[in-house]
Amino acid sequence: MTFGTLFVLSLIKAFAVVVGLSLNIAGVLTWVDRRQGAILQDRVGPERAVVWIPRRIAQGAVLGPAVLAAVGALALFFFKDAEGAARTTRAVGFSHLAIFVTWFTALLIAGRVRVRGVKSSFDAFIASVGDPRHIFYFGLGAHLLVLGLLAALAGTPAGETARDFLYGAGPFVFAFSALFGAAYAAQRFQHERAGFRLIGMLHPAADGLKTIFKEDFIPPGGDRFLHKIAPFISFFPVLVLLGVVPIGDTLCFGSDEQGRIAFTKLLETVPRDGICPTSVLGTGAPVHAVRLQVLDLNVGILFFFAMAGTGVVGAALAGWASNNKYSLLGGLRAAGQMVSYEVTLGLTLIGALMIYGTVRIDEMVRWQAENAWGIFVQPVAFVLFFAAAIAETKRIPFDLPEGESELVAGYFTEYSGMKFAMFFFSEYVAIVTLAGLTTAVFLGGWHLPFLHRDGIHMAIGDTVIFSQPLTHLTVVLLGVLGFVGKTVALCVLQLFIRWTLPRFRYDQLMKLGWRKLLPAALVNVLVTGLVVLAIQSASVEVQRFMGVLGQLTHLVVAVAGLVGLVLFVRFLLSRAEHQRVLASTSAQFAAAAGGTQTSRMGA
Amino acid sequence: MLTNQPLGPNQVTGAPLPRPDRSAAIQVYVPEIAKGLAITMGRFLKNTKEMALSQRNDPTIESISGGINCVSYPEQRRPYPERFRGVHRLTHRTDGSPRCVACLCCSTACPAQCIHIEAGEYPEGDPRRGYERFPARFVIDELRCVFCGFCVEACPCDAIRMDTGIHAAPYDSREQFIYEKDMLMSFKGRDGSQESENPRHEPGDPTHPGIDREHGH
Repeated sequence: MTFGTLFVLSLIKAFAVVVGLSLNIAGVLTWVDRRQGAILQDRVGPERAVVWIPRRIAQGAVLGPAVLAAVGALALFFFKDAEGAARTTRAVGFSHLAIFVTWFTALLIAGRVRVRGVKSSFDAFIASVGDPRHIFYFGLGAHLLVLGLLAALAGTPAGETARDFLYGAGPFVFAFSALFGAAYAAQRFQHERAGFRLIGMLHPAADGLKTIFKEDFIPPGGDRFLHKIAPFISFFPVLVLLGVVPIGDTLCFGSDEQGRIAFTKLLETVPRDGICPTSVLGTGAPVHAVRLQVLDLNVGILFFFAMAGTGVVGAALAGWASNNKYSLLGGLRAAGQMVSYEVTLGLTLIGALMIYGTVRIDEMVRWQAENAWGIFVQPVAFVLFFAAAIAETKRIPFDLPEGESELVAGYFTEYSGMKFAMFFFSEYVAIVTLAGLTTAVFLGGWHLPFLHRDGIHMAIGDTVIFSQPLTHLTVVLLGVLGFVGKTVALCVLQLFIRWTLPRFRYDQLMKLGWRKLLPAALVNVLVTGLVVLAIQSASVEVQRFMGVLGQLTHLVVAVAGLVGLVLFVRFLLSRAEHQRVLASTSAQFAAAAGGTQTSRMGA
Repeated sequence: MLTNQPLGPNQVTGAPLPRPDRSAAIQVYVPEIAKGLAITMGRFLKNTKEMALSQRNDPTIESISGGINCVSYPEQRRPYPERFRGVHRLTHRTDGSPRCVACLCCSTACPAQCIHIEAGEYPEGDPRRGYERFPARFVIDELRCVFCGFCVEACPCDAIRMDTGIHAAPYDSREQFIYEKDMLMSFKGRDGSQESENPRHEPGDPTHPGIDREHGH
């Protein structure tokens, strides 16, 4: 790869990770944390920020993608025929997509009709179905029917016919459902303008915009230069930290005539073992590997500690430069706390490093994919690391540097406008960063159970349970989705911890750090060393047994994920049980008048 | 009587409060955190699900039951009682002129002094000249108004009413809260009417008692 290609590639990756992943998730987290936290207390957080869109444009925005998808599906059917295995894949894919879009659209419409009442003959038809759950059950039945039919008739002439029928019917049903749903939604815009609220997520955007225009105050006695530079020092490290974390498996590209990388020639499939084949099958052209991580450093996680260590400087400088005793106290607290917990943070990882035998994060992920996720081999380290990571982000229950009840706002008391917003936002970016790192080190990174480089292969020991080859692109995309999903889940867990736990006292914080977490981390290192030594010197049978145990952990994760999904769907299908409490005369009157009156805003 | 004597063991009454349990399971702290998280998550997920799937309870009815209890104004509103006092309106006569005769009863009765009336005389030759006057200006400062309804009670002509059912609207400047006569006359009652059910006895009507400024009782 030439320097130019490498530079552009790194720029794209940096943009994707920093803006696409880190800042996006952090923005949404700000909304969830500050606004949706109200839902815990039976309130709806502020969600009124709105952008008014003219009706025609709103209708276009609804109809456009649906028309594109429908035309795309039909064009694929008419102009790009598929034969053999690809035909089966497409028949199965399109029929399930069509069924899903159909029942999901019907479910959405049924929900709306229940809320606002029957307005048209189609509404009346949907309402006649009764409980919207029936639509879900019907859809589930259709999915199972198609699956069962194809499985039962596989290999017979009837199966061929069924497959051809689904191959033809799928795109048409999909196109019809998508268009119908979009048209239904479009004709519901009855006012001249439509409010675009994005479920309230525009509120943090509005807040962020506001801070740009607010007064930028610098305290008269403060150090002007340090005061200005402190927010950048605290914002920068958390932004670059995610650079060493791989967000997905390595992509393998073919090469053009000169042997340079050709981005259009992504390999169709790759072998299960190894990262990329040395040459393209058949032609012998060299294969270029593109790692989905911004910084391909061989010091890996050490870079993480180097940068995380500078985070403390920003907070301490902000406290010092503000010329305010509260700020100074906050800055000192931040410095003391972050230095203390960094020790634990580092020591917990030593155990993981001993097992993985590498400091490169992508190789850690590969080790976890081959053996077992870090949370199974280092459960204690995971808990300790997560606790120390929350302390590093300076958030509840470790938010003493900014404890409102004692220090006004701690080290950023004297900050306003965008500089305050940078401190504020860097906290959320730090959440994403640390969640990403925890995912990579302890939750298997991009790895999903039984998803190998060449497809899904379920095997315990030598017993193969299920096998389905997938293309290279699908595997990598699934991996990226898996990484993002795990990261978001950990971020949300941190928010829940913030919503649940009260703040520590400062001496408790220090005691927890130095007298509980640190010894626990040291014991963990000791025990890990002994176990690693024991396994390395054990017989081949024991090592084989450990391998099977590792595969069993993958099975546990897969089953747990499946059970979680089923429980979640059951939870969604459960009925809301409310007691009608007519406690006051005004409630009695309201009940007689038909309850809360709902109307659409925006006329 | 206050004494500095400490209470003896015999004087202490009631059972001692139990000490918090300090078992190992609690000291480890992690299981207790998990329990707390489960409660928070359950609450969050339940409320979020009910909001997303439109299964929320009706906040104005079920005001003390669990779940989210807030009215998302202005999309959602409380039903107002029949006698809810909303923004004022001036009722019309059959010819579209205000029923108000500028007697100043309402502005006199107003405790907030938010009503300003400038009375006008009908022109020479009009049968109503000398019998009654009309409001040349009728201004209500809705920002000062306390919505007590005294003006409605005081009016002898059923000319001012507060039955519009309109919630006092928020504006962004004080001038916009000054409602002039035209605006007050443009509002309709909740039944859509602009006139009053009560008949008037105009001069010349058979029901008119024949009393005016010149011809007294």
